[in-house]
Amino acid sequence: MRAQRFYPIIAGTQIPNDWHKGKIPSNIEVGENSVIDSSFCFERYFANSDVGLRIGNNVTLWRASLSVEENGYIEIGHFCYICNASIVCSRRITIGSYVWIAGGVTITDSDFHPIDPAARLADTIAISPIGNRKSRPAIETGPVYIEDDVWVGYNATILKGVRIGSGAVIAPGAIVINNVPQGAYVAGNPARLVKGIRI
Amino acid sequence: MKGKSLFIEYDWFNGDIPNNIIFGKHVYIDTSYSFAFFLSQQNPGLILGDCAGVYLRTTFVVGPEGYVSVGSYTCLNGAYLISNECIKIGSHCLLAWGSVITDTFLDLNSSVESRRAALKGASLNPNRLLSPVSRPFPVKLEDNVWVGFESVILPGVTLGQGCVIGCKTVISEDIPPYAVVVGDPSRIVRYLEPDDTEAARQRALKEYIGG
Repeated sequence: MRAQRFYPIIAGTQIPNDWHKGKIPSNIEVGENSVIDSSFCFERYFANSDVGLRIGNNVTLWRASLSVEENGYIEIGHFCYICNASIVCSRRITIGSYVWIAGGVTITDSDFHPIDPAARLADTIAISPIGNRKSRPAIETGPVYIEDDVWVGYNATILKGVRIGSGAVIAPGAIVINNVPQGAYVAGNPARLVKGIRI
Repeated sequence: MKGKSLFIEYDWFNGDIPNNIIFGKHVYIDTSYSFAFFLSQQNPGLILGDCAGVYLRTTFVVGPEGYVSVGSYTCLNGAYLISNECIKIGSHCLLAWGSVITDTFLDLNSSVESRRAALKGASLNPNRLLSPVSRPFPVKLEDNVWVGFESVILPGVTLGQGCVIGCKTVISEDIPPYAVVVGDPSRIVRYLEPDDTEAARQRALKEYIGG
């Protein structure tokens, strides 16, 4: 039996003919007509709250990875199309409606590790094979908000604490470290305003 | 030459290799996963030249109107090729992991309404095919081009023979032959000696095959 390209996202179920022998997590809420290609998307989904992920209606997830830490929460609106992007969430990442996220994109709300050398050293021990992951040093986080109608180009990176205004376009390869105004077009590393576009 | 068994002894992905592909001699393909979103209705929709290699998670995202050609001895090592019209890649090219070659991106003058319409259309399509919001522009890589990892080559671009695109570089304009380009925004930092002559190629074919 050949795999179909897409299957409905149904909480707590296995996808038929999935190449990855995993399950769709049970603590997610999904609207109608939202689809996915493989449960591999949830390989790093560790949210243990009642709802760690909310997905609206008519959403397409294709080869995306939704990594969520225990206390993390990702919200995705309606009609979003997310290609093979990595969304890595420690606390909160909010994506509005009609958002397109291209292949190779990374969106994260933390830097994964502390910047202070002593704390960072301690973190390597805590995350080591014999370490205690529950007692990791504190990691700075900043919620990420991507408003409606944002398009994020190939291989772009959106880092912690950033809000991207509605209708904005992130150029391919851009590394976004600051807020992006509504309807703006930003490019480069760090991403800078190129020109306003019509909304 | 239809079917995966010719190329893939053990494929972890339960997929097909489309039958509108022309394969040269000694083509190598890691997995049919590369073709899971190959929806070209052209015939051929893809040409893979002699001794071309399709490795790792190289992915062909090709729409019904899309067409890709890959020259001989070209190495696709985890590249993403996104075509709704035409991507032509020459011989002896190297495309590293995470590099994106696309003939389609967003027209910055496109309205939010047209973007919404495209996304709505995709949600109604059984294959979740996203129609281009702006018209595609063909992309060409001449022979012996090297594209570094996670670089992006945008629509309409021609990369000249022998040029080198550094890693994580975004290219939106034509690059002259033998240029070395880095950065975002990109800049040309030097030019290479154009010593990749046909004689050099013939010598290499004698020296570096088999053994």
